[in-house]
Amino acid sequence: MTLSRSARWRASLAAVRISALQFLADPQWLIPSMIAPVIFGLVAFELFRGLGQYFAIYAILGAGMMSMWGQTLYGSGWATGQDREFGTLEPTLQAPTPYLYVILGRVTWNVLTGLIGGAIVYGVVVLANGSVPALQNPAGFVLLFAFVILSLAAVGIVFAAFYVYTRYAGFIQNIGEFAFYVGTGCMFPVVLLPFWTNPIALAFPPTWALDALRYLAIPGYQGFAWGFWPDLAGAFATTGIYLAIAGTVFRRVERHVLEIGDVQDY
Amino acid sequence: MTELAIEARGVERVFVSRKGFFLNEITRTEALRGVDLNVEAGEIFGLLGPNGAGKTTLTKILSTLLLPSKGEAKVLGLDVTKEAAKLRPRMGLVLGGERGLYNRVSARENLRYFADLYGVPVAEREHRIQKVLDRVGLIESADRRVEEYSRGMKQKLHLARGILHEPEILFLDEPTIGLDPKSARETRKLIRGLVTDGVTIFLTTHYMFEAEELCHRLAVLTKGRVVGRDTVAGLRALVGGDRTLEVEGYGFEDAEVEALKRLPGVSKIVSEEFGPRLRLTLRLRTGELRVDAVRALLNSHPELTVRERQTSLEDVYLDLVGDGS
Ligand SMILES: Nc1ncnc2c1ncn2[C@@H]1O[C@H](COP(=O)(O)OP(=O)(O)OP(=O)(O)O)[C@@H](O)[C@H]1O
Ligand SMILES: [Mg+2]
Repeated sequence: MTLSRSARWRASLAAVRISALQFLADPQWLIPSMIAPVIFGLVAFELFRGLGQYFAIYAILGAGMMSMWGQTLYGSGWATGQDREFGTLEPTLQAPTPYLYVILGRVTWNVLTGLIGGAIVYGVVVLANGSVPALQNPAGFVLLFAFVILSLAAVGIVFAAFYVYTRYAGFIQNIGEFAFYVGTGCMFPVVLLPFWTNPIALAFPPTWALDALRYLAIPGYQGFAWGFWPDLAGAFATTGIYLAIAGTVFRRVERHVLEIGDVQDY
Repeated sequence: MTELAIEARGVERVFVSRKGFFLNEITRTEALRGVDLNVEAGEIFGLLGPNGAGKTTLTKILSTLLLPSKGEAKVLGLDVTKEAAKLRPRMGLVLGGERGLYNRVSARENLRYFADLYGVPVAEREHRIQKVLDRVGLIESADRRVEEYSRGMKQKLHLARGILHEPEILFLDEPTIGLDPKSARETRKLIRGLVTDGVTIFLTTHYMFEAEELCHRLAVLTKGRVVGRDTVAGLRALVGGDRTLEVEGYGFEDAEVEALKRLPGVSKIVSEEFGPRLRLTLRLRTGELRVDAVRALLNSHPELTVRERQTSLEDVYLDLVGDGS
Protein backbone atom coordinates (compact mmCIF):
# COMPACT_ATOMS: atom_id res chain seq x y z
CA MET A 1 0.00 0.00 0.00
CA THR A 2 1.46 3.33 -1.00
CA LEU A 3 0.38 6.46 0.79
CA SER A 4 -3.06 7.78 -0.16
CA ARG A 5 -3.45 11.08 -1.95
CA SER A 6 -5.16 12.73 1.00
CA ALA A 7 -2.36 11.59 3.30
CA ARG A 8 0.13 13.24 0.97
CA TRP A 9 -1.66 16.57 1.10
CA ARG A 10 -1.78 16.26 4.84
CA ALA A 11 1.99 15.93 4.74
CA SER A 12 2.10 19.22 2.81
CA LEU A 13 0.08 20.84 5.58
CA ALA A 14 2.44 19.34 8.14
CA ALA A 15 5.31 20.95 6.24
CA VAL A 16 3.57 24.36 6.40
CA ARG A 17 3.15 23.84 10.12
CA ILE A 18 6.73 22.81 10.86
CA SER A 19 7.98 25.73 8.71
CA ALA A 20 5.86 28.11 10.76
CA LEU A 21 7.14 26.62 14.02
CA GLN A 22 10.75 26.87 12.88
CA PHE A 23 10.14 30.43 11.73
CA LEU A 24 8.66 31.43 15.07
CA ALA A 25 11.50 29.77 16.93
CA ASP A 26 14.22 31.63 15.08
CA PRO A 27 14.26 35.45 15.10
CA GLN A 28 16.74 35.66 12.21
CA TRP A 29 13.82 35.16 9.81
CA LEU A 30 12.39 38.49 10.84
CA ILE A 31 15.16 40.20 8.90
CA PRO A 32 14.45 38.97 5.36
CA SER A 33 10.70 38.71 5.84
CA MET A 34 9.77 41.77 7.91
CA ILE A 35 12.68 44.18 8.29
CA ALA A 36 14.22 44.03 4.81
CA PRO A 37 10.89 44.94 3.14
CA VAL A 38 10.70 48.14 5.18
CA ILE A 39 14.17 49.13 4.05
CA PHE A 40 13.59 48.02 0.45
CA GLY A 41 10.38 50.04 0.40
CA LEU A 42 12.05 53.22 1.65
CA VAL A 43 15.06 52.89 -0.66
CA ALA A 44 12.84 52.21 -3.68
CA PHE A 45 10.67 55.19 -2.80
CA GLU A 46 13.70 57.50 -2.97
CA LEU A 47 15.18 55.76 -6.00
CA PHE A 48 12.10 56.03 -8.19
CA ARG A 49 11.04 59.54 -7.14
CA GLY A 50 12.14 61.06 -10.45
CA LEU A 51 10.20 58.64 -12.64
CA GLY A 52 7.00 60.58 -13.05
CA GLN A 53 3.69 60.43 -11.28
CA TYR A 54 3.56 56.61 -11.03
CA PHE A 55 6.87 56.26 -9.26
CA ALA A 56 5.17 54.98 -6.08
CA ILE A 57 3.89 51.96 -8.00
CA TYR A 58 7.39 51.33 -9.32
CA ALA A 59 8.63 51.43 -5.79
CA ILE A 60 5.95 49.09 -4.50
CA LEU A 61 6.36 46.58 -7.31
CA GLY A 62 10.14 46.66 -7.27
CA ALA A 63 10.72 46.44 -3.55
CA GLY A 64 7.73 44.16 -2.97
CA MET A 65 9.02 41.82 -5.60
CA MET A 66 12.50 41.84 -4.13
CA SER A 67 11.17 40.94 -0.77
CA MET A 68 8.88 38.23 -2.11
CA TRP A 69 11.59 36.84 -4.31
CA GLY A 70 14.11 36.76 -1.49
CA GLN A 71 11.66 35.00 0.74
CA THR A 72 10.64 32.33 -1.75
CA LEU A 73 14.08 31.70 -3.04
CA TYR A 74 15.81 31.81 0.29
CA GLY A 75 13.04 30.16 2.17
CA SER A 76 12.45 27.29 -0.20
CA GLY A 77 15.99 26.44 -1.12
CA TRP A 78 17.11 27.12 2.39
CA ALA A 79 14.47 24.88 3.93
CA THR A 80 15.93 21.89 2.13
CA GLY A 81 19.45 23.08 2.81
CA GLN A 82 18.54 23.17 6.48
CA ASP A 83 17.04 19.70 6.27
CA ARG A 84 20.45 18.59 5.10
CA GLU A 85 22.20 20.50 7.84
CA PHE A 86 19.94 19.19 10.59
CA GLY A 87 20.15 15.65 9.24
CA THR A 88 16.36 15.65 8.89
CA LEU A 89 16.53 15.11 5.13
CA GLU A 90 17.28 11.42 5.80
CA PRO A 91 14.15 10.59 7.80
CA THR A 92 12.12 12.87 5.54
CA LEU A 93 13.19 11.06 2.39
CA GLN A 94 12.77 7.72 4.11
CA ALA A 95 9.17 8.56 4.99
CA PRO A 96 6.55 7.38 2.49
CA THR A 97 5.48 10.90 1.47
CA PRO A 98 7.21 11.95 -1.76
CA TYR A 99 9.49 14.86 -0.91
CA LEU A 100 7.72 17.05 -3.46
CA TYR A 101 4.72 17.28 -1.12
CA VAL A 102 6.95 18.44 1.71
CA ILE A 103 8.44 21.06 -0.59
CA LEU A 104 4.98 22.24 -1.63
CA GLY A 105 4.20 22.85 2.03
CA ARG A 106 7.50 24.61 2.67
CA VAL A 107 7.06 26.79 -0.44
CA THR A 108 3.50 27.64 0.57
CA TRP A 109 4.75 28.91 3.88
CA ASN A 110 7.46 30.97 2.21
CA VAL A 111 5.00 32.44 -0.26
CA LEU A 112 2.81 33.44 2.68
CA THR A 113 5.64 35.19 4.48
CA GLY A 114 6.70 36.71 1.15
CA LEU A 115 3.20 38.14 0.77
CA ILE A 116 3.44 39.63 4.22
CA GLY A 117 6.73 41.20 3.11
CA GLY A 118 5.01 42.54 0.01
CA ALA A 119 2.22 43.98 2.15
CA ILE A 120 4.77 45.67 4.38
CA VAL A 121 6.43 47.27 1.37
CA TYR A 122 3.04 48.48 0.20
CA GLY A 123 2.30 49.97 3.60
CA VAL A 124 5.68 51.67 3.86
CA VAL A 125 5.48 53.23 0.40
CA VAL A 126 1.89 54.35 0.91
CA LEU A 127 2.89 55.97 4.20
CA ALA A 128 5.94 57.66 2.65
CA ASN A 129 3.87 58.80 -0.32
CA GLY A 130 1.03 60.05 1.83
CA SER A 131 -1.65 58.49 -0.40
CA VAL A 132 -2.73 55.21 -1.99
CA PRO A 133 -1.53 55.06 -5.60
CA ALA A 134 -4.24 54.26 -8.13
CA LEU A 135 -3.85 51.27 -10.46
CA GLN A 136 -4.63 51.46 -14.12
CA ASN A 137 -6.28 48.04 -14.30
CA PRO A 138 -6.99 46.76 -10.78
CA ALA A 139 -8.79 43.53 -11.75
CA GLY A 140 -6.12 42.46 -14.21
CA PHE A 141 -3.49 43.43 -11.70
CA VAL A 142 -4.92 41.22 -8.98
CA LEU A 143 -5.20 38.25 -11.35
CA LEU A 144 -1.69 38.68 -12.62
CA PHE A 145 -0.42 39.18 -9.13
CA ALA A 146 -1.85 35.82 -8.11
CA PHE A 147 -0.05 34.34 -11.06
CA VAL A 148 3.21 36.00 -10.03
CA ILE A 149 2.93 34.17 -6.74
CA LEU A 150 2.54 30.89 -8.59
CA SER A 151 5.57 31.70 -10.72
CA LEU A 152 7.59 32.48 -7.60
CA ALA A 153 6.51 29.19 -6.08
CA ALA A 154 7.58 27.36 -9.24
CA VAL A 155 11.05 28.84 -8.95
CA GLY A 156 11.11 27.98 -5.24
CA ILE A 157 10.33 24.35 -5.97
CA VAL A 158 13.09 24.11 -8.54
CA PHE A 159 15.59 25.59 -6.11
CA ALA A 160 14.48 23.17 -3.43
CA ALA A 161 15.06 20.35 -5.91
CA PHE A 162 18.62 21.60 -6.39
CA TYR A 163 19.18 21.37 -2.67
CA VAL A 164 17.99 17.80 -2.57
CA TYR A 165 20.10 17.02 -5.59
CA THR A 166 23.36 18.39 -4.33
CA ARG A 167 24.86 19.69 -1.15
CA TYR A 168 26.50 22.40 -3.25
CA ALA A 169 23.20 24.01 -4.25
CA GLY A 170 24.06 27.20 -2.36
CA PHE A 171 26.28 28.04 -5.30
CA ILE A 172 23.38 27.99 -7.77
CA GLN A 173 21.16 29.82 -5.34
CA ASN A 174 23.59 32.68 -4.90
CA ILE A 175 23.85 33.12 -8.66
CA GLY A 176 20.06 33.09 -8.93
CA GLU A 177 19.69 35.73 -6.31
CA PHE A 178 22.31 37.99 -7.79
CA ALA A 179 20.92 37.61 -11.31
CA PHE A 180 17.47 38.42 -10.06
CA TYR A 181 18.27 41.56 -8.11
CA VAL A 182 20.46 42.96 -10.83
CA GLY A 183 18.72 41.65 -13.90
CA THR A 184 14.99 41.78 -13.42
CA GLY A 185 14.59 45.46 -13.09
CA CYS A 186 12.87 45.08 -9.78
CA MET A 187 15.28 47.58 -8.29
CA PHE A 188 16.12 49.49 -11.46
CA PRO A 189 13.93 49.85 -14.53
CA VAL A 190 15.03 47.28 -17.11
CA VAL A 191 15.57 49.88 -19.81
CA LEU A 192 18.33 51.47 -17.73
CA LEU A 193 20.20 48.21 -17.34
CA PRO A 194 22.95 47.06 -19.68
CA PHE A 195 21.61 44.64 -22.23
CA TRP A 196 23.73 41.67 -21.07
CA THR A 197 21.78 41.45 -17.83
CA ASN A 198 18.54 40.71 -19.67
CA PRO A 199 19.13 37.10 -20.75
CA ILE A 200 19.91 36.04 -17.18
CA ALA A 201 16.85 37.77 -15.84
CA LEU A 202 14.62 36.36 -18.56
CA ALA A 203 15.34 32.85 -17.30
CA PHE A 204 13.17 33.68 -14.28
CA PRO A 205 9.38 33.79 -14.71
CA PRO A 206 8.91 36.72 -12.32
CA THR A 207 10.91 38.97 -14.64
CA TRP A 208 8.27 38.60 -17.36
CA ALA A 209 5.38 38.73 -14.96
CA LEU A 210 6.72 41.80 -13.20
CA ASP A 211 7.07 43.66 -16.48
CA ALA A 212 3.51 42.67 -17.42
CA LEU A 213 2.34 43.85 -14.01
CA ARG A 214 3.83 47.26 -14.62
CA TYR A 215 1.92 47.52 -17.90
CA LEU A 216 -1.28 46.88 -15.98
CA ALA A 217 -0.45 49.29 -13.19
CA ILE A 218 1.11 52.24 -14.98
CA PRO A 219 -0.44 54.05 -17.96
CA GLY A 220 2.05 54.58 -20.76
CA TYR A 221 4.61 52.20 -19.24
CA GLN A 222 7.46 51.19 -21.56
CA GLY A 223 9.25 48.03 -20.48
CA PHE A 224 10.63 45.30 -22.68
CA ALA A 225 10.38 46.27 -26.32
CA TRP A 226 7.89 43.50 -27.09
CA GLY A 227 5.13 44.88 -24.86
CA PHE A 228 2.42 43.47 -22.61
CA TRP A 229 1.11 40.33 -24.35
CA PRO A 230 4.48 38.75 -25.11
CA ASP A 231 5.38 39.54 -21.50
CA LEU A 232 2.37 37.61 -20.35
CA ALA A 233 3.07 34.74 -22.71
CA GLY A 234 6.67 34.66 -21.53
CA ALA A 235 5.57 34.58 -17.92
CA PHE A 236 3.23 31.64 -18.55
CA ALA A 237 5.79 29.79 -20.63
CA THR A 238 8.64 30.17 -18.16
CA THR A 239 6.41 29.23 -15.23
CA GLY A 240 5.26 26.19 -17.16
CA ILE A 241 8.85 25.22 -17.80
CA TYR A 242 9.75 25.57 -14.13
CA LEU A 243 6.75 23.54 -13.01
CA ALA A 244 7.57 20.88 -15.58
CA ILE A 245 11.18 20.78 -14.42
CA ALA A 246 10.07 20.59 -10.80
CA GLY A 247 7.51 17.86 -11.44
CA THR A 248 9.59 15.56 -13.59
CA VAL A 249 12.97 16.20 -12.08
CA PHE A 250 11.90 15.59 -8.51
CA ARG A 251 11.50 11.86 -8.77
CA ARG A 252 14.87 11.59 -10.44
CA VAL A 253 16.42 13.90 -7.88
CA GLU A 254 15.24 11.68 -5.06
CA ARG A 255 16.70 8.67 -6.81
CA HIS A 256 19.91 10.49 -7.56
CA VAL A 257 20.66 11.26 -3.90
CA LEU A 258 19.96 7.68 -2.90
CA GLU A 259 22.45 6.66 -5.55
CA ILE A 260 25.12 9.15 -4.49
CA GLY A 261 24.44 8.49 -0.84
CA ASP A 262 25.16 11.96 0.50
CA VAL A 263 21.73 12.68 2.00
CA GLN A 264 23.31 13.10 5.41
CA ASP A 265 25.93 15.60 4.19
CA TYR A 266 25.72 19.35 3.99
CA MET B 1 8.64 -22.74 5.80
CA THR B 2 9.12 -19.46 7.58
CA GLU B 3 8.39 -16.28 5.77
CA LEU B 4 11.41 -14.12 5.02
CA ALA B 5 11.30 -10.52 6.15
CA ILE B 6 14.64 -9.67 4.56
CA GLU B 7 16.35 -11.34 1.66
CA ALA B 8 19.61 -9.84 0.42
CA ARG B 9 21.51 -11.30 -2.52
CA GLY B 10 24.98 -10.18 -3.46
CA VAL B 11 24.50 -6.66 -2.20
CA GLU B 12 27.42 -4.40 -3.02
CA ARG B 13 27.86 -0.72 -2.41
CA VAL B 14 30.62 1.56 -3.60
CA PHE B 15 30.87 5.14 -2.39
CA VAL B 16 32.52 7.61 -4.69
CA SER B 17 33.57 10.68 -2.81
CA ARG B 18 35.02 13.84 -4.23
CA LYS B 19 37.35 16.29 -2.62
CA GLY B 20 39.26 19.40 -3.57
CA PHE B 21 38.05 22.80 -4.68
CA PHE B 22 36.93 21.52 -8.08
CA LEU B 23 35.82 18.18 -6.58
CA ASN B 24 38.41 16.51 -8.75
CA GLU B 25 40.02 14.15 -6.25
CA ILE B 26 37.99 10.99 -6.39
CA THR B 27 38.15 8.15 -3.89
CA ARG B 28 36.18 4.92 -4.09
CA THR B 29 35.18 3.03 -0.96
CA GLU B 30 33.82 -0.46 -1.24
CA ALA B 31 31.55 -0.46 1.77
CA LEU B 32 29.75 -3.74 0.95
CA ARG B 33 31.27 -6.49 -1.15
CA GLY B 34 28.51 -8.98 -1.79
CA VAL B 35 26.26 -9.49 1.20
CA ASP B 36 23.79 -12.39 1.35
CA LEU B 37 21.38 -12.38 4.23
CA ASN B 38 18.06 -13.90 5.24
CA VAL B 39 16.04 -12.59 8.13
CA GLU B 40 12.92 -14.43 9.14
CA ALA B 41 9.68 -12.64 9.93
CA GLY B 42 9.23 -12.05 13.63
CA GLU B 43 12.84 -12.48 14.69
CA ILE B 44 15.39 -10.09 16.13
CA PHE B 45 18.37 -10.17 13.84
CA GLY B 46 21.62 -8.58 14.96
CA LEU B 47 24.42 -7.26 12.81
CA LEU B 48 27.84 -7.02 14.43
CA GLY B 49 31.08 -5.75 13.02
CA PRO B 50 33.94 -3.34 13.60
CA ASN B 51 33.77 0.36 12.78
CA GLY B 52 33.53 0.90 9.07
CA ALA B 53 32.45 -2.69 8.39
CA GLY B 54 29.39 -1.52 6.47
CA LYS B 55 26.62 -1.99 9.06
CA THR B 56 25.05 1.43 8.63
CA THR B 57 25.43 1.17 4.86
CA LEU B 58 23.55 -2.14 4.81
CA THR B 59 20.90 -0.78 7.18
CA LYS B 60 20.33 2.20 4.88
CA ILE B 61 20.11 0.05 1.78
CA LEU B 62 17.55 -2.25 3.38
CA SER B 63 15.53 0.74 4.59
CA THR B 64 15.47 2.34 1.09
CA LEU B 65 17.68 5.28 2.02
CA LEU B 66 20.54 4.21 -0.20
CA LEU B 67 20.68 2.28 -3.46
CA PRO B 68 22.92 -0.76 -3.77
CA SER B 69 25.58 -0.57 -6.49
CA LYS B 70 24.95 -4.24 -7.27
CA GLY B 71 22.80 -7.10 -6.07
CA GLU B 72 19.25 -7.00 -4.85
CA ALA B 73 17.35 -6.97 -1.61
CA LYS B 74 13.77 -7.64 -0.69
CA VAL B 75 12.10 -6.51 2.50
CA LEU B 76 8.64 -7.90 3.30
CA GLY B 77 8.77 -9.44 -0.15
CA LEU B 78 9.20 -6.05 -1.85
CA ASP B 79 12.25 -4.92 -3.78
CA VAL B 80 13.98 -2.11 -1.88
CA THR B 81 14.95 -0.19 -5.01
CA LYS B 82 11.91 -0.74 -7.22
CA GLU B 83 9.08 -0.92 -4.70
CA ALA B 84 10.25 1.56 -2.09
CA ALA B 85 6.99 3.52 -2.20
CA LYS B 86 4.99 0.47 -1.16
CA LEU B 87 7.55 -0.57 1.37
CA ARG B 88 8.16 2.67 3.23
CA PRO B 89 4.81 2.90 5.05
CA ARG B 90 5.46 -0.57 6.46
CA MET B 91 8.99 -0.08 7.75
CA GLY B 92 10.64 2.03 10.42
CA LEU B 93 14.21 3.28 10.64
CA VAL B 94 16.14 4.57 13.63
CA LEU B 95 19.55 5.93 12.76
CA GLY B 96 19.89 7.75 16.05
CA GLY B 97 22.53 10.31 16.90
CA GLU B 98 22.56 14.01 17.63
CA ARG B 99 21.19 14.98 14.22
CA GLY B 100 18.01 14.08 12.38
CA LEU B 101 15.61 16.08 14.55
CA TYR B 102 14.20 19.60 14.44
CA ASN B 103 16.04 21.05 17.40
CA ARG B 104 14.14 24.29 17.70
CA VAL B 105 10.74 22.70 18.13
CA SER B 106 9.42 20.34 20.76
CA ALA B 107 9.62 16.57 20.71
CA ARG B 108 5.86 16.41 20.32
CA GLU B 109 5.93 18.69 17.27
CA ASN B 110 8.71 16.58 15.76
CA LEU B 111 6.52 13.52 16.19
CA ARG B 112 3.44 15.30 14.79
CA TYR B 113 5.36 16.22 11.68
CA PHE B 114 6.68 12.74 11.05
CA ALA B 115 3.34 11.14 11.94
CA ASP B 116 1.85 13.13 9.05
CA LEU B 117 4.71 12.21 6.73
CA TYR B 118 4.15 8.55 7.57
CA GLY B 119 0.41 8.81 7.01
CA VAL B 120 -0.67 8.09 10.58
CA PRO B 121 -4.46 8.66 10.57
CA VAL B 122 -5.36 12.12 11.94
CA ALA B 123 -7.83 10.72 14.44
CA GLU B 124 -5.16 8.50 15.97
CA ARG B 125 -2.24 10.85 15.81
CA GLU B 126 -2.28 12.51 19.24
CA HIS B 127 -3.07 9.26 20.99
CA ARG B 128 -0.24 7.43 19.23
CA ILE B 129 2.22 10.21 19.99
CA GLN B 130 1.28 10.03 23.64
CA LYS B 131 1.67 6.26 23.58
CA VAL B 132 5.16 6.21 22.03
CA LEU B 133 6.34 9.07 24.25
CA ASP B 134 5.24 7.00 27.19
CA ARG B 135 6.88 3.90 25.81
CA VAL B 136 10.29 5.56 25.47
CA GLY B 137 9.91 7.53 28.70
CA LEU B 138 9.76 11.06 27.34
CA ILE B 139 6.26 12.07 28.47
CA GLU B 140 7.53 14.65 30.93
CA SER B 141 9.83 16.41 28.46
CA ALA B 142 7.56 16.06 25.45
CA ASP B 143 6.92 19.78 25.15
CA ARG B 144 10.47 20.94 25.64
CA ARG B 145 12.56 21.97 22.64
CA VAL B 146 14.73 19.15 21.38
CA GLU B 147 17.83 21.36 21.62
CA GLU B 148 17.46 21.11 25.39
CA TYR B 149 17.55 17.33 25.22
CA SER B 150 20.50 15.26 26.35
CA ARG B 151 22.00 12.83 23.90
CA GLY B 152 20.15 9.89 25.40
CA MET B 153 16.85 11.76 25.28
CA LYS B 154 17.41 12.46 21.59
CA GLN B 155 18.11 8.78 21.09
CA LYS B 156 14.78 7.96 22.73
CA LEU B 157 13.02 10.46 20.51
CA HIS B 158 14.58 8.83 17.44
CA LEU B 159 13.21 5.53 18.68
CA ALA B 160 9.77 7.02 19.29
CA ARG B 161 9.70 8.35 15.73
CA GLY B 162 10.70 4.94 14.40
CA ILE B 163 7.74 3.13 15.96
CA LEU B 164 5.15 5.90 15.61
CA HIS B 165 3.53 4.48 12.47
CA GLU B 166 3.56 0.91 13.83
CA PRO B 167 5.86 -0.58 11.23
CA GLU B 168 6.00 -4.31 10.49
CA ILE B 169 9.77 -4.22 10.33
CA LEU B 170 12.08 -1.94 12.25
CA PHE B 171 15.71 -1.12 11.45
CA LEU B 172 17.74 0.03 14.41
CA ASP B 173 21.30 1.31 13.97
CA GLU B 174 22.94 1.08 17.40
CA PRO B 175 19.68 1.69 19.28
CA THR B 176 21.11 1.92 22.80
CA ILE B 177 24.11 4.11 22.05
CA GLY B 178 24.31 6.97 24.52
CA LEU B 179 21.66 5.55 26.82
CA ASP B 180 22.24 5.12 30.53
CA PRO B 181 22.13 1.50 31.77
CA LYS B 182 18.55 1.74 32.98
CA SER B 183 17.29 3.36 29.76
CA ALA B 184 19.28 0.87 27.69
CA ARG B 185 17.63 -1.95 29.56
CA GLU B 186 14.19 -0.40 29.07
CA THR B 187 14.93 0.01 25.39
CA ARG B 188 15.85 -3.65 25.10
CA LYS B 189 12.62 -4.47 26.86
CA LEU B 190 10.76 -2.26 24.40
CA ILE B 191 12.43 -4.06 21.50
CA ARG B 192 11.40 -7.44 22.89
CA GLY B 193 7.90 -6.09 23.38
CA LEU B 194 7.74 -5.05 19.73
CA VAL B 195 8.71 -8.56 18.68
CA THR B 196 5.93 -9.95 20.83
CA ASP B 197 3.60 -7.71 18.84
CA GLY B 198 4.90 -9.37 15.66
CA VAL B 199 7.43 -6.78 14.50
CA THR B 200 10.63 -8.01 12.84
CA ILE B 201 13.73 -6.27 14.15
CA PHE B 202 17.02 -5.74 12.34
CA LEU B 203 19.58 -4.10 14.58
CA THR B 204 23.26 -3.27 14.64
CA THR B 205 25.21 -3.06 17.86
CA HIS B 206 28.70 -3.00 19.30
CA TYR B 207 27.53 -4.44 22.62
CA MET B 208 28.03 -8.19 22.72
CA PHE B 209 25.81 -8.76 25.74
CA GLU B 210 23.06 -6.83 24.02
CA ALA B 211 23.34 -8.99 20.91
CA GLU B 212 23.45 -12.12 23.05
CA GLU B 213 20.50 -11.05 25.17
CA LEU B 214 18.29 -9.84 22.34
CA CYS B 215 19.05 -11.49 19.06
CA HIS B 216 17.70 -14.77 17.82
CA ARG B 217 20.28 -14.79 15.07
CA LEU B 218 23.35 -12.76 14.26
CA ALA B 219 25.62 -11.91 11.39
CA VAL B 220 29.15 -10.62 11.70
CA LEU B 221 30.24 -8.20 9.02
CA THR B 222 33.87 -7.30 8.34
CA LYS B 223 35.10 -5.10 5.53
CA GLY B 224 31.83 -5.39 3.69
CA ARG B 225 31.54 -9.18 3.89
CA VAL B 226 29.54 -11.47 6.13
CA VAL B 227 32.02 -13.74 7.91
CA GLY B 228 29.58 -15.56 10.14
CA ARG B 229 25.82 -15.85 10.34
CA ASP B 230 23.94 -18.03 12.79
CA THR B 231 22.45 -18.26 16.27
CA VAL B 232 24.80 -17.46 19.15
CA ALA B 233 25.22 -21.22 19.74
CA GLY B 234 25.79 -21.80 16.05
CA LEU B 235 28.44 -19.08 15.92
CA ARG B 236 30.17 -20.65 18.92
CA ALA B 237 30.30 -23.93 17.09
CA LEU B 238 31.68 -22.11 14.06
CA VAL B 239 34.73 -20.84 15.93
CA GLY B 240 35.24 -23.82 18.21
CA GLY B 241 32.70 -24.60 20.83
CA ASP B 242 31.02 -23.71 24.07
CA ARG B 243 34.04 -24.04 26.29
CA THR B 244 37.09 -21.85 26.55
CA LEU B 245 40.17 -22.32 28.73
CA GLU B 246 42.29 -19.39 29.76
CA VAL B 247 45.90 -20.07 30.65
CA GLU B 248 48.01 -17.29 32.15
CA GLY B 249 51.68 -17.21 33.04
CA TYR B 250 54.94 -15.28 32.58
CA GLY B 251 55.55 -16.33 28.99
CA PHE B 252 55.39 -19.69 27.26
CA GLU B 253 57.77 -21.54 24.93
CA ASP B 254 56.68 -22.10 21.34
CA ALA B 255 57.00 -25.83 21.96
CA GLU B 256 54.58 -25.53 24.87
CA VAL B 257 52.03 -23.74 22.74
CA GLU B 258 52.41 -26.45 20.10
CA ALA B 259 51.87 -29.11 22.76
CA LEU B 260 48.72 -27.33 23.94
CA LYS B 261 47.44 -27.24 20.38
CA ARG B 262 47.85 -31.03 20.16
CA LEU B 263 45.70 -31.62 23.25
CA PRO B 264 42.40 -33.30 22.39
CA GLY B 265 39.60 -30.97 21.31
CA VAL B 266 41.65 -27.75 21.09
CA SER B 267 40.53 -25.93 17.98
CA LYS B 268 42.33 -22.66 18.30
CA ILE B 269 44.72 -20.73 20.54
CA VAL B 270 44.81 -16.95 20.76
CA SER B 271 47.53 -15.22 22.77
CA GLU B 272 47.32 -11.81 24.37
CA GLU B 273 49.80 -9.92 26.55
CA PHE B 274 48.79 -8.35 29.84
CA GLY B 275 51.88 -6.49 31.04
CA PRO B 276 54.41 -9.14 31.98
CA ARG B 277 51.86 -11.92 31.75
CA LEU B 278 50.73 -13.77 28.72
CA ARG B 279 47.25 -15.17 28.30
CA LEU B 280 46.53 -18.10 26.01
CA THR B 281 42.87 -18.58 25.18
CA LEU B 282 42.07 -22.15 24.12
CA ARG B 283 38.88 -22.72 22.21
CA LEU B 284 37.58 -26.25 22.81
CA ARG B 285 35.57 -28.21 20.33
CA THR B 286 34.81 -31.13 22.62
CA GLY B 287 34.24 -31.68 26.32
CA GLU B 288 37.08 -34.07 27.12
CA LEU B 289 39.95 -31.71 27.95
CA ARG B 290 40.22 -30.97 31.69
CA VAL B 291 41.92 -28.05 33.44
CA ASP B 292 44.20 -30.55 35.22
CA ALA B 293 45.62 -31.85 31.96
CA VAL B 294 46.70 -28.35 30.98
CA ARG B 295 48.19 -27.76 34.44
CA ALA B 296 50.13 -31.00 34.17
CA LEU B 297 51.59 -30.00 30.80
CA LEU B 298 52.76 -26.62 32.11
CA ASN B 299 53.75 -27.69 35.66
CA SER B 300 57.17 -25.99 35.46
CA HIS B 301 55.57 -22.52 35.36
CA PRO B 302 55.34 -20.56 38.59
CA GLU B 303 52.10 -18.71 39.30
CA LEU B 304 50.26 -20.44 36.51
CA THR B 305 46.51 -19.89 36.38
CA VAL B 306 44.16 -22.01 34.34
CA ARG B 307 40.44 -21.47 34.33
CA GLU B 308 37.52 -22.63 32.34
CA ARG B 309 34.66 -20.47 31.18
CA GLN B 310 31.93 -20.50 28.61
CA THR B 311 32.90 -19.17 25.20
CA SER B 312 31.47 -15.68 25.06
CA LEU B 313 30.02 -14.00 22.04
CA GLU B 314 32.92 -11.59 22.28
CA ASP B 315 35.37 -14.51 21.80
CA VAL B 316 33.42 -15.60 18.78
CA TYR B 317 33.26 -12.09 17.43
CA LEU B 318 36.97 -11.43 17.87
CA ASP B 319 37.81 -14.73 16.20
CA LEU B 320 35.59 -14.00 13.22
CA VAL B 321 36.65 -10.41 12.81
CA GLY B 322 40.30 -11.28 13.24
CA ASP B 323 40.07 -13.89 10.51
CA GLY B 324 38.31 -11.54 8.20
CA SER B 325 41.32 -9.30 7.69
N1 LIG C 1 28.58 8.73 2.34
C1 LIG C 1 29.74 8.06 2.30
N2 LIG C 1 30.70 8.43 1.45
C2 LIG C 1 31.87 7.77 1.37
N3 LIG C 1 32.18 6.69 2.12
C3 LIG C 1 31.26 6.25 2.98
C4 LIG C 1 29.99 6.91 3.13
N4 LIG C 1 29.27 6.26 4.08
C5 LIG C 1 30.06 5.24 4.50
N5 LIG C 1 31.24 5.23 3.84
C6 LIG C 1 32.33 4.26 4.02
O1 LIG C 1 31.78 2.96 3.95
C7 LIG C 1 32.37 2.12 4.91
C8 LIG C 1 31.28 1.52 5.79
O2 LIG C 1 30.71 2.55 6.58
P1 LIG C 1 29.50 2.29 7.59
O3 LIG C 1 29.08 3.59 8.11
O4 LIG C 1 28.50 1.45 6.90
O5 LIG C 1 30.22 1.44 8.72
P2 LIG C 1 29.61 0.90 10.10
O6 LIG C 1 29.80 -0.57 10.09
O7 LIG C 1 28.25 1.41 10.31
O8 LIG C 1 30.62 1.54 11.14
P3 LIG C 1 30.36 2.07 12.65
O9 LIG C 1 30.41 0.88 13.53
O10 LIG C 1 31.53 2.96 12.89
O11 LIG C 1 29.06 2.78 12.67
C9 LIG C 1 33.38 2.96 5.65
O12 LIG C 1 34.65 2.71 5.09
C10 LIG C 1 32.95 4.37 5.39
O13 LIG C 1 34.06 5.22 5.35
MG1 LIG D 1 27.39 2.68 11.69
